[in-house]
Amino acid sequence: MTNRDKYKQAFSVLQSSGEISLEVERMAIMNKRAKMRTAAAAVACVVLAGGSGIVYAADIGGIQRTIQLWINGDQTTANFEYDGEGTYHITYPSEDGETGEIGGGGVALEDDGTERPLTEEELLETLNDPEVEYKDDGTVWVYYYDQKIEITDLFEDGVCYVKLTHEDETLYMTVKYQAGYCISPHKYESPDTFN
Amino acid sequence: MRQSVQELFERYQNNLYAAAFNICKNAEDAKDVVQDTFIQYYSLKKEFDSEQHIRAWLLRVAINKAKNANRTFWRKNKVPLEEYMETLTFETPESEELFETVMNLPEKYRIVIHLFYYEDYTVREIADILKISESNVKVRLSRGRVLLKEKLQEEWEDDE
Repeated sequence: MTNRDKYKQAFSVLQSSGEISLEVERMAIMNKRAKMRTAAAAVACVVLAGGSGIVYAADIGGIQRTIQLWINGDQTTANFEYDGEGTYHITYPSEDGETGEIGGGGVALEDDGTERPLTEEELLETLNDPEVEYKDDGTVWVYYYDQKIEITDLFEDGVCYVKLTHEDETLYMTVKYQAGYCISPHKYESPDTFN
Repeated sequence: MRQSVQELFERYQNNLYAAAFNICKNAEDAKDVVQDTFIQYYSLKKEFDSEQHIRAWLLRVAINKAKNANRTFWRKNKVPLEEYMETLTFETPESEELFETVMNLPEKYRIVIHLFYYEDYTVREIADILKISESNVKVRLSRGRVLLKEKLQEEWEDDE
């Protein structure tokens, strides 16, 4: 028996046991465990596709809030729910009359490298972050509040840099083609520093 | 080219699970990695050159996600490896010893060993998947083999 045979025999015990859901379409929309890391230096790096919409206002009061949500550059009223442990769930009326759902969550990296769940307020702030969408027609778009920016042709060596402004805020966004993006209020983050 | 998630899931779920487990040492995290990897495949609408290209991409994404899982706050209730191994049925005691020995190697050697011996990838292909140099792969493979040989002795042959 070769080493390879022995190895395969030993590791053949690892079976995924069929407990993994194949509802990927729904999961892609829900993206329940989108692990959006927000560093203490106010740099947010998103490594999963799909996910959050954009929120800019909130009715304070209780666990659920009614918010104004930006989805792909369009504004809608949505219900925001925080579970108290760093994750949120948003429902909103979608274009086809159904109820759209978005989920996500995040952790903050403290100065000492430890992590903690984001608070509700921090999550609402992170929802203001820009989004990237890869469309079926091959085009790539950045959405930020009411702005829709096509960046399809702006990639060089798989990396694109986008400067975004909203009111008094300026964000520097580094997008790696189909491999996540990073935003910072200070400078364009190096593509080597994320994902 | 694209293949349906269903097809890929049936074909590669155990490969991704094994690779993810190799890094996470945790069944729950490994399952999440497999699921997240297929969600990413579905979401990105990426075009591939061949099925081998898809397989390598899925493994690369799963490995990266597993590394991220190791670093993140979002851990499931982690079952110690020894406890999880008690739930597995190994064909022989030697298989169990090999499994345990591999899982106790440093992560950087472990995943290279796994891609070489389980996925049958070449050094060049492993370098491409892990985005490290071929010489780096060779070094890790060599050091991993030495450690396996030290521990397993006659149960592990000297090979290149």
